[in-house]
Amino acid sequence: MNKLSYVIKNTFINMRRNPLLVIATVLAVLVSSFLVFTTLSGRAVVQNNTSRWQNGVHVVIFLDDRVTTTAHKQLQESLESYPEVRMVDYFSKDEATEEFKILFKDQPELVQEVDFEILPSSLRVNLNNPSDYTLIIERMEGNPAVKEIRASGEAIERLLSLTNTLVLAATVFAILIAFAAFILIINTLRLTAFAKRKEIKVMKLIGASSTYIRLPFIFEAIFESLLGTSIAVGLGWGVIQYSKDSLVAESIFDITISDGYLINLTLGLILSSVLFGFFASYVGIRKALNE
Amino acid sequence: MIKLENVSLVFQGGSVALSNITTEIKEGDFVYLIGHSGSGKSSFLKLLYRDTYPTKGIIDVVDMEVSSLPKWKIPILRRKLGIVTQEPQLLEDRTTFENISFSLEVLGYDAKEIDAKTSTLIDLVELQDNAYKFPYQLSGGEQTRVAIARALASNPLVLLCDEPTGNLDPDLSIQIVSLLEKINRAGTTILMATHDSSIVNRRKKRVLELSDGKLIRDETEGTYV
Ligand SMILES: Nc1ncnc2c1ncn2[C@@H]1O[C@H](COP(=O)(O)OP(=O)(O)O)[C@@H](O)[C@H]1O
Ligand SMILES: [Mg+2]
Repeated sequence: MNKLSYVIKNTFINMRRNPLLVIATVLAVLVSSFLVFTTLSGRAVVQNNTSRWQNGVHVVIFLDDRVTTTAHKQLQESLESYPEVRMVDYFSKDEATEEFKILFKDQPELVQEVDFEILPSSLRVNLNNPSDYTLIIERMEGNPAVKEIRASGEAIERLLSLTNTLVLAATVFAILIAFAAFILIINTLRLTAFAKRKEIKVMKLIGASSTYIRLPFIFEAIFESLLGTSIAVGLGWGVIQYSKDSLVAESIFDITISDGYLINLTLGLILSSVLFGFFASYVGIRKALNE
Repeated sequence: MIKLENVSLVFQGGSVALSNITTEIKEGDFVYLIGHSGSGKSSFLKLLYRDTYPTKGIIDVVDMEVSSLPKWKIPILRRKLGIVTQEPQLLEDRTTFENISFSLEVLGYDAKEIDAKTSTLIDLVELQDNAYKFPYQLSGGEQTRVAIARALASNPLVLLCDEPTGNLDPDLSIQIVSLLEKINRAGTTILMATHDSSIVNRRKKRVLELSDGKLIRDETEGTYV
């Protein structure tokens, strides 16, 4: 008990010696953790959105109003015979009207204005591999029964590849900043050890165990790392909450991310920051105490 | 208590600090380690508390084989020894009381015990009036007393003192030696390095004399010659 209070007391005494370095260290850890938190949850949001898309409709083939029932049946059968196609749904004009009313139920004036006759019937195609949408477009183009083809694939592929690029870039930056934090911690510990060199010498003479001498250093590194990460994670949760609540985000993108995922991410980051602090102090102490 | 067998210490670069030393110090002894500056006294003491280790030979201190002691056991050895270095090595930002209680803290005593034991140690070295002074407010002799009190924190079996009267005038030196004699009477083995002849000749004790790293004299009731 007495030892623990000694360690904690000394951890804070040490940190008060170099307040600027401590702030720099905490900030570097904060930025690094924040990058990791936001990009990983951002990616999870994109994946959640696109996974719904993956299981949903990949290509919509709007049919010409003049197409007969037999003609659309034939078209549907030939689509279903393609190996890359998993499922084809026929959507009649009535169903399209219903869907429109549901989608725009918040805007009754719009629903009033629209002439539902212009809504075409369609075939909605679900593919085994969403990126095969180009094959379907190639095959259907020029078919007289087809009025228009829309594939969401291109935009989504672009979104996915953009997300991956962002995640990669953010990861690189997070690692660089984490490295800076690492160097900062080592330097803080060296400065502390230098300031306390006489005290450490005396402790060794008296017969203090090396754990006892090291613990304040280890605590300091872990504390700084943990503080930075905790603030970053707090900010991250705030940002996600804000995006969920903000109307802009709602209209462009659905912020769907499970609390379970966020909790795991948070715990993972906290644990990593403890390990990070521990490792940094391990290296720092070896350099600082010349052991 | 302390035993050396054919101990030599050669530094990198070849300078020989100690050569082929064999001797023994028994429990309860008071021994002066004398010799000119550079004769190897500090090196001798440093070998005993494992600040350096010998190039050759076997060293046994308080039943621990120091010459082959693994690093992690050094604290165990040091707790059985009291070490007063040539410079008192006091912490400048702490009072006498705090310098002494610091070592008790380091050794893991309870907060309650620390206060009581610190006061006892302060009484022992007769620093009652200087308990709340900082090192810069103390004379050389008083600083040495603080260092001695601190070294006694772990109730050591042996007290190793490296020229504790090094820069004190004769009166103060005699006071320090009287203090060490008092500690010795309480059962602590004492090995004191010095090149102060008046001290050694005052009350005859065992003398080990080093010259150029060789043990040239071992007398039970020796003088400084
Ligand atoms: N770290 C060292 N490296 C090289 N030589 C040393 C070192 N420490 C002491 N010496 C040499 O060893 C000899 C003995 O030194 P020391 O034990 O300090 O003598 P004393 O304490 O009797 O004055 C001296 O010649 C000194 O120069
Ligand atoms: Mg010396």
